Amino acid sequence: MNGAHDLGGMHGLGPIDAEVDEPVFHAEWERRCFAITLAAGFLGQWNIDMSRYARERMHPGDYLKTSYYEHWLHGLQTLLVEKGLLTEEEIAARMAELAEEEKP
Amino acid sequence: MKALRAQDVEYTLQHSRGARVDEDVAATFKSGDRVLTRNIHPIGHTRLPRYARARHGTIASDYGVFIFPDTHARGEGVKAQHLYSVRFSARELWGPEAREADGVYLDLWDDYLDPAPGDPAPGDPTPGDPT
Repeated sequence: MNGAHDLGGMHGLGPIDAEVDEPVFHAEWERRCFAITLAAGFLGQWNIDMSRYARERMHPGDYLKTSYYEHWLHGLQTLLVEKGLLTEEEIAARMAELAEEEKP
Repeated sequence: MKALRAQDVEYTLQHSRGARVDEDVAATFKSGDRVLTRNIHPIGHTRLPRYARARHGTIASDYGVFIFPDTHARGEGVKAQHLYSVRFSARELWGPEAREADGVYLDLWDDYLDPAPGDPAPGDPTPGDPT
């Protein structure tokens, strides 16, 4: 699809910021996102190309403003909902629950 | 539905199937062949980037037989076919202001490619492309 992921030749995004000794993950949630995505993949409900397509379908405006693992998280949620493993409501309820726990 | 158990993670990751397919499929092209990429705009997944559609390139190498991502992403099977490294001159992709010696190599499947029209005989130098 002609989506925001197909960046080749696009101007205005600034230089590529190559980090020296870049860590594999920049935050703990990225590590979890990666692991959960792989674990969910082994449920056998989709393949790697379906995973990529799920990330590409993120709205272009959102895609360009979010990080690599945010794309992964979005793609995973899309697949979990499309395959009927979770509902949007269940995800929203769990997010509200976690937000409540984090309140001081 | 079978979940992946913690004790099986290492084994499973080490033995998970890659995208290579052990199937005897004829290659449409060989190294050195001139190709023209198709001008396709599928709404599904594709590995042919926009900037390399309807462009001339040269087969640099043949990786062998692989799953075709476009059909695989739609759940329509692996459609096993050859995957090539294809060289495009920077000028073919980005115009006359690009450096003449520069090139871009893309991994592209048979279904993205047609023979370049008016393809010179193998071994003939092609003007504008140092390969």
